[in-house]
Amino acid sequence: MSALRRDHAGLSRVLRVIDGLADRLTESPGTARPVLLDALRYLLEYHHAFHHPREDRLFARIRLRRPALDESLGRISHEHESGEREIAALVEALTAIDGHDLSGKPGANLANRINDYVRHARTHMRDEEVVFYARAESALSDADWADIIDQDGPQDPLANLAALAGAYPHLAEYLGLSTSHLGGSAIGADGQDDVHRQLLALTDVYGSLLHEGFDLTRTNLRRLLAVRGPIGLARTAGDISVDNLRFAGRCVSQPSRWAVNTGCALLLRWARLDPSR
Amino acid sequence: MVSWQTRTAKLLGRLTIRQALRRQLDITEMRARIAGMERFFPDVPADVQVDKAAGLSHCDGEWLTPTEGHSERVILHLPGGAFMTRFVRAERLLLARLCRATHARGRLVFYRLAPENPFPAGLDDCLEAYRQLLDQGVQPKNIILSGVSAGGCLALALMLSARDQGLPLPAGAMLMSPAADLTDEYDAGSRATNADRDAVLSLEHGEEIRQLYLDGRTELASHPYVSPVMGDFSGLPPLFFQVGSTEILLDDSHRCAERARAAGVSAEVEVWDRMPHGWQALSFAPESGRAIARLADFVRECCP
Repeated sequence: MSALRRDHAGLSRVLRVIDGLADRLTESPGTARPVLLDALRYLLEYHHAFHHPREDRLFARIRLRRPALDESLGRISHEHESGEREIAALVEALTAIDGHDLSGKPGANLANRINDYVRHARTHMRDEEVVFYARAESALSDADWADIIDQDGPQDPLANLAALAGAYPHLAEYLGLSTSHLGGSAIGADGQDDVHRQLLALTDVYGSLLHEGFDLTRTNLRRLLAVRGPIGLARTAGDISVDNLRFAGRCVSQPSRWAVNTGCALLLRWARLDPSR
Repeated sequence: MVSWQTRTAKLLGRLTIRQALRRQLDITEMRARIAGMERFFPDVPADVQVDKAAGLSHCDGEWLTPTEGHSERVILHLPGGAFMTRFVRAERLLLARLCRATHARGRLVFYRLAPENPFPAGLDDCLEAYRQLLDQGVQPKNIILSGVSAGGCLALALMLSARDQGLPLPAGAMLMSPAADLTDEYDAGSRATNADRDAVLSLEHGEEIRQLYLDGRTELASHPYVSPVMGDFSGLPPLFFQVGSTEILLDDSHRCAERARAAGVSAEVEVWDRMPHGWQALSFAPESGRAIARLADFVRECCP
């Protein structure tokens, strides 16, 4: 059983690679495509060629012991076949697609198909572990396991990165990276970055005013509830008016100050007067 | 491309949590506000059972168990919240989703909070929870630590402390934007470059938080159990970091991973484009589901 679980560990690692690179396919096809092709070929040449036959032998044994599971086991075995067909189709599509098309809609569609495959593979793996692996551990004997796990069969190439580099160089190189980036690239050009930062600053200005407004409302209510007599009311009305006017002043001055500062900074930058540019 | 759900959450985070952190620090008010925000997080899904039996000396804890069955894996989860507060429902939901995706049981530890219980009370509670798992016969190879923000810091500190005490170490650790450096270098690296881009956190009161967590003993800030980034990572299990590219805590993950790799420990950092602090807990956002799926992959890798 540990051999099958180790296979799933390897599969999970490669699914993470595929999942991370599918989004980059349209943005950086030159980098993503070779790694994705290596990863998909690895799945075909190891998982579908050796791991799934092992599992199918396992399921056949479970079927003998628990005929009630026949239908679910049939479904899982069918998923092995359909998964293999889908990966083969993805490899073919990824090889055939033009580099220019990868950056456009066809590339995005292909990335969606790859993401669908990853989602399906994760669910499939989880179903196997939840339903069948747990049952097999208690139901099967050592002799059964000896027949299921071909001890002399190939081991997962992921176990040895040096060996992996021989067969799947791009995948091995990617697995050796210490940092991976998920999602699209961050904010682009300098100018865009500037505008974005200024908009964030504006959100902070309004966020701060919003909090101040809430606090002021609370304080005003507290003051009004504490009023005792006409003199107190007059004094409270005065206090509230002064604080409200101050707050109103800030509501006008702070965004205006932001607008003036931002406008000047951007003008200077666009006019290339900023020495740091 | 950042989803509209995450963009909305970022805007709300910037208008609420970030502004609250920039204003005068009032722990009581902050806890009350967080309790008010908690109602927006949904309940734990029906197929995960929550057992509130604590069994810890000084703090509460919970067991989360997938009802459809579970493997021998246990995720020991340490919530975040600047060591002083926490989103209980959000952390519970995050752990429940992790348990579902990994077919594992989850142990949620509500360690004691500062300033009432300053360092090392919280770390002691986490260590007690870890020891308890070992005492209950859970194999260390089946334990995965996880933590968000301050919880990530405690997860790292727990491993350093467990190693120093000669305890067997867990199979791996999932560290979501850990706050791993409490020294006073607040103006350097991502803490400066991302200061205005971080949608949630603000370091205006970083010094105060440090003072409260350490009860004024700021000389402890460079201790590895307080700032794990200062520690020796040798002997630790594989570490998996997830962090957003615009977070002020971005460098904490990078620096920890560098130190880990220098000590021969497997450490991987995933930098997620423009994700806000703790996005893994935003169950309504697609990026959260994807992050959980990738964390689950890591669990299967280090705990087959």
